[in-house]
Amino acid sequence: MIEIKHLTKIYKLNKKQMAESKTKNPYKTAVDDLCLTAKKGEIYGLLGPNGAGKTTTLRCIATLIKPTKGEVFVDQHEVQKEPEKVRESIGFLTSEIKLDEQFDVDYMFDFFGKLHNISGERLKKRKEELFTYFGIKEFAHKKIKELSTGMKQKAAIAVSLVHDPDIVIFDEPTNGLDIITARSVTDYLRKLRDDGKLVIVSTHIMSEAEKLCDRIGIIIDGQKVAEGTLRELLEQTNTSDLEDAFFEFYSARKGE
Amino acid sequence: MSGMRQIFKKEMDRIFKDKKMVFSVFFLPVLMMVVLLSIINGLASNMEKDIESHKSEIYVMNEPASFRDVLEVSKMKCQLKTVASEKEMKGAKKEILEGEADLIVEFPEGFEEDIAKYQEGDPVPQVKTYENPSEEYSQQASRNMTAALETYRQMLLSQRVEDMSSLTIFQVNSDNDEMYIQDERKAGGKAIGTMLPYFITILLFAGAMGIGTDMVAGEKERGTMASLLVSPIKRKDIALGKVLALMLISGVSSLIYVAAMVIGAPLMMSKMGGLGDLDIQLSVQQILMLGTLLVAIAFLYSTMIALISVFARSVKEANTYVMPAYMLVLVTGLLTMFTSGETSQKMFFIPIYNTALVLQGILGQEVTMMQFGVTLIETLAIGAVLMGVIVKAFDSEKVMSA
Repeated sequence: MIEIKHLTKIYKLNKKQMAESKTKNPYKTAVDDLCLTAKKGEIYGLLGPNGAGKTTTLRCIATLIKPTKGEVFVDQHEVQKEPEKVRESIGFLTSEIKLDEQFDVDYMFDFFGKLHNISGERLKKRKEELFTYFGIKEFAHKKIKELSTGMKQKAAIAVSLVHDPDIVIFDEPTNGLDIITARSVTDYLRKLRDDGKLVIVSTHIMSEAEKLCDRIGIIIDGQKVAEGTLRELLEQTNTSDLEDAFFEFYSARKGE
Repeated sequence: MSGMRQIFKKEMDRIFKDKKMVFSVFFLPVLMMVVLLSIINGLASNMEKDIESHKSEIYVMNEPASFRDVLEVSKMKCQLKTVASEKEMKGAKKEILEGEADLIVEFPEGFEEDIAKYQEGDPVPQVKTYENPSEEYSQQASRNMTAALETYRQMLLSQRVEDMSSLTIFQVNSDNDEMYIQDERKAGGKAIGTMLPYFITILLFAGAMGIGTDMVAGEKERGTMASLLVSPIKRKDIALGKVLALMLISGVSSLIYVAAMVIGAPLMMSKMGGLGDLDIQLSVQQILMLGTLLVAIAFLYSTMIALISVFARSVKEANTYVMPAYMLVLVTGLLTMFTSGETSQKMFFIPIYNTALVLQGILGQEVTMMQFGVTLIETLAIGAVLMGVIVKAFDSEKVMSA
């Protein structure tokens, strides 16, 4: 389970960043007093436009960055107090995280398996399972730099799931993938959910959120403006699809 | 601990499983050094041979009749031309200036007669030579001519004085094979001690430089560092694993270079008076001291490079930042090559410089245990402090996500 309690993340901008964002304020609030709870056995989607704070939230959960205020609990472990315990129970993937291009997929899989203290026999079993599912076997011994974008993404997904984590965090899971690979990824996320795991994804693609997520949290300007199942969100806004619902929330927020 | 071992192993695999990498890190620099030194040596010996085989063009004014016999005896390769007038002398000097002729020898008029009828109190005749010091051929001709003129003088002197020994009065070391009293091992160590610290310190740094910036800044730039940061191992283990790997790589590469130098230098530099005739023998104590100090230096350099790289956003940036540190190491190495006399105790407290001094001292058997201890502890302590900063930096989201 993931519990986010009053998470705030404020970045200090340097002069160049201030000039780029055309602001004189050296502080940028990326996430503003965000609270949410996501439970095992569900796919929770963070939906919002670019720059809404989705990735920052996920990076806080993954211990890559530290919250300015608030707490984040991952399976009862607080991210700042027990970062190693948190990282043990999550699988985190984003397009910014890449595998070392000099090694082959097989080596990288074993390497991260050992970092997670996976025993030889279990590692072998996981490899067989994931490599078969994602069709990695045929390029398992190719260096990462020789792979296509889709192949790289598949390899990165397999590696991030090597330790069979209870919580899987994917930042824009289908970003840059062709339609077939994208489908195999979303299918796998559903399988993980059905296996009782918690999957938390961020996306700005409405159709993906609509089809994939059991619950959706809409984030705008670092704040959660709505949360619920697709049906609940549609009912709240009296709309018939997620895109219309999103714009209702968006204009309500911006019109404040 | 296990995480650190995995990181260390991955960094080792990155180098040793890639043939191109092994070649470029360990063997290419050696190959370049061998090729470079061979070319320099080849060119130098070619030049020497060319000078030796050159037939000197020499102008002679007022040549005495007996002089040519002396030249023949001295086997000097030369072609003599006579200068008969002041005008011709001017022309000859112009040729010397332009490098077309090599030497002018000017005897005074009536040279032989003056010598033959010499009386006590008469002025001593003077032979003048003119050469061009910027021309190798001219210098060589001058050296040979000085020797020939000395022979000529001895010959003329023997005609004037019957007992040559009466002029000598006493001789110095004409029959003393044992004049040099020194410890051969110490002398060898001292000679090599002036060069080796310079090479070792530079090679240790250079060996770690390229790999180190790639290992830290490169991983950040490529986005592969983040994959390590989300794994359950401690940030400290990632940093330590990388620094240890860097230490080993720089150590191995410098060992290979030094071995290549010790084996290759006598062959390559035989004509340049290099390490060829040095007797390198080290005692067990010397080897132990050298080994311990080299490990400490490798540790310090690796932490320096890793620290610089961790704050850089790209490999390019890291390479730019690391250059001043490399220059510092280069200059301190050079300083020990050109320092002579007693070194003040204070010098052994200056980081980096003291390691070069102690390396030199160990090889020359002139270092005290106190100096060695201070240097070793200081080097390790600075390395440990830098390591602490690196670990802090690995924990900082600002540094790691920059």
